[in-house]
Amino acid sequence: MIRPLADHNRTLPFRVEGFRTLIEGLDYAARGETGFGFHDGRGRLVAVLTYGELAERARDLAPRLLGLGLARGDRVALVATTDPDFITLFFACQHAGLVPVPLPLPVNLGGREAYVARLAAMMRAAGARLAVAGTDFQPMLAEAAVQAGVPAALVPAEVAACPPRGRPVPFGEDDPCYIQYSSGSTSMPRGVLVTQRALVANARAIARDGLGLRPGDRCVSWLPLYHDMGLVGCCLTPTLAQIPVDYLAPTAFARRPLLWIELISRYRATISYAPTFGYELAARRAERGGDLARFDLTSWRVAGLGGEMIRPAVLDRFARIFRPAGFDPRAFVASYGLAEATLAVTFAPVGQGLRCDLVRRDDTLERARLAIPARPGEGVPVRDFVRCGRPLPGYRVEIRDEAGRALPERHVGRICIAGPSLMREYFRDPAASARVFEPDGMLDTGDLGYLVDGELVVTGRSKDLIIVGGRNIWPQDLEWAVERLSGVRAGDVAAFAAPDEEGREEVVVVVECRLADPAARARLRREVRGVVARTAGIDCRVLLVPPRSLAYTTSGKLSRATVRARWLRGELMDLDAAPPLPTVLAAPESAVEPV
Amino acid sequence: MSERAAILETVVAILREQCPEAGEIGPESDLVADLAIDSAAAMDLVMEVEDRYDLDIPLNELADLRTVGDLVELVARHLEGRQG
Repeated sequence: MIRPLADHNRTLPFRVEGFRTLIEGLDYAARGETGFGFHDGRGRLVAVLTYGELAERARDLAPRLLGLGLARGDRVALVATTDPDFITLFFACQHAGLVPVPLPLPVNLGGREAYVARLAAMMRAAGARLAVAGTDFQPMLAEAAVQAGVPAALVPAEVAACPPRGRPVPFGEDDPCYIQYSSGSTSMPRGVLVTQRALVANARAIARDGLGLRPGDRCVSWLPLYHDMGLVGCCLTPTLAQIPVDYLAPTAFARRPLLWIELISRYRATISYAPTFGYELAARRAERGGDLARFDLTSWRVAGLGGEMIRPAVLDRFARIFRPAGFDPRAFVASYGLAEATLAVTFAPVGQGLRCDLVRRDDTLERARLAIPARPGEGVPVRDFVRCGRPLPGYRVEIRDEAGRALPERHVGRICIAGPSLMREYFRDPAASARVFEPDGMLDTGDLGYLVDGELVVTGRSKDLIIVGGRNIWPQDLEWAVERLSGVRAGDVAAFAAPDEEGREEVVVVVECRLADPAARARLRREVRGVVARTAGIDCRVLLVPPRSLAYTTSGKLSRATVRARWLRGELMDLDAAPPLPTVLAAPESAVEPV
Repeated sequence: MSERAAILETVVAILREQCPEAGEIGPESDLVADLAIDSAAAMDLVMEVEDRYDLDIPLNELADLRTVGDLVELVARHLEGRQG
């Protein structure tokens, strides 16, 4: 029988100020009774790790990590399973002055090869000296470790059994904290080096100014711990505010989305975050039937949103469906952030629900890049964007044009940010680092948006990035995977996301195809769909087009934006969708005019 | 009917429901290429199978799963493991 997690500290005063490092915050939280609860795929509590136990175990493990021959500042790759082992090792690294590098979990059917390659690329980029994963994942990690030249791939028990050596010195306030590989493609992963200073600054701003955390708050999270929203938002910030957290593994949520709702109800949780698609999954499952009044969501005061474009219609539906359970739509809190800023940059005010900005979706938005307010029923196409709030105190957001000039309100441009938790660099990647910083030191987020009343409205994520189901997918990864198929050449493929007939983002993969035989084309189509699914776990629309249909920039780089625009204008025609030409007019392939 | 054949029948029935547009479904059918099971649909599928057989399929084993036959094999192995 597992002793339940305490939902508040009996005597320890609530505190978010004054911590200089993550370990200082943990040591303070360790004096209370709160901590983390872990649940299995059916929602049963299977483990509790109080902050006190976490501090003790992390302190015990630290010299054992050093006993493996690691030196201060070495990187330790950890497969970020949602369990006590991962979290304990993460904090043990803090104690030992080692830099943890959380690694993703596989998400795709048949995706072993792609997953191992991804792990290897991340560990190579991080120069990891040790890799640790639970027994389930250790074989794949070990394979990746060999590819990446990482000397050791262990399971947590092996680390725990290692004889201790030396005297661990925890990271100080000027030291690094961890490396987050959430951006960059598989072959060129970019690791954000998050420092202690950045982490405590952002956690304090989130806790104090963004969420207004207070004693009695309790968090439920199914977000993966290798993402900034899961790691910083739902693990490190709670630690630095002594808040209890109940975890569900991301895959448990994906299989049974209503477990999320059930845990919030069971623990009277006040705070829970998800990208829009999480709310969508829960709503869709709830619509299949079942008594929703069995849930009590009246405690849920912050239903946080982030991580992808916020879709208000989906959230309206969620609120409607869960009204019988007492869900209050005023709990929705939009925010904007990115790993390069540790996590959060702007926060909408808590307690006001979603506030939207309805603008004309015509040429003024697409071409003139002006967000003109619209009223429904004016007869022009409109688009509802969500206001993501003002920058947190100490942070600055500026919208800039291509030349770097600041734009006035309601002008769409590049979202540039400054603040105390900005990264200094991508780990060991000066070229990529240089590209994202403006001459004055602001960071170009790669996202597009505009300001209204000082609030940020995001209109699109980085122009090439594909975001599906809350996951960032780099089009290059899909293109390269497809190019490896036989009969496809390098440069023949373009992948992008575009709204389908119903306005949902779908992934479109355009392949230049020289096959005359329809059966061979059908085979290729199937292979493309399969390799994309194995690489990224997504379904896609495959478009086989005649050679020279793709567009390139003057420097010879594929212009996905141009290809995408042609697709949206209906100018790209699939070889098998086109009406057959009369035989006498059928031109040889080389003479086919690019469409 | 052998145990594997019975599992195959059940799995095909689940897939038939989840992929109404799919043509022939057999052990050789590729889950992603033929049946377009993306990662969200995969979780639905796994949940159905788990509930039907009351087992927990570990995430790492999904990475090795390519065909309907692989899935049948995986379920059979877990059921045998439980008896043995």
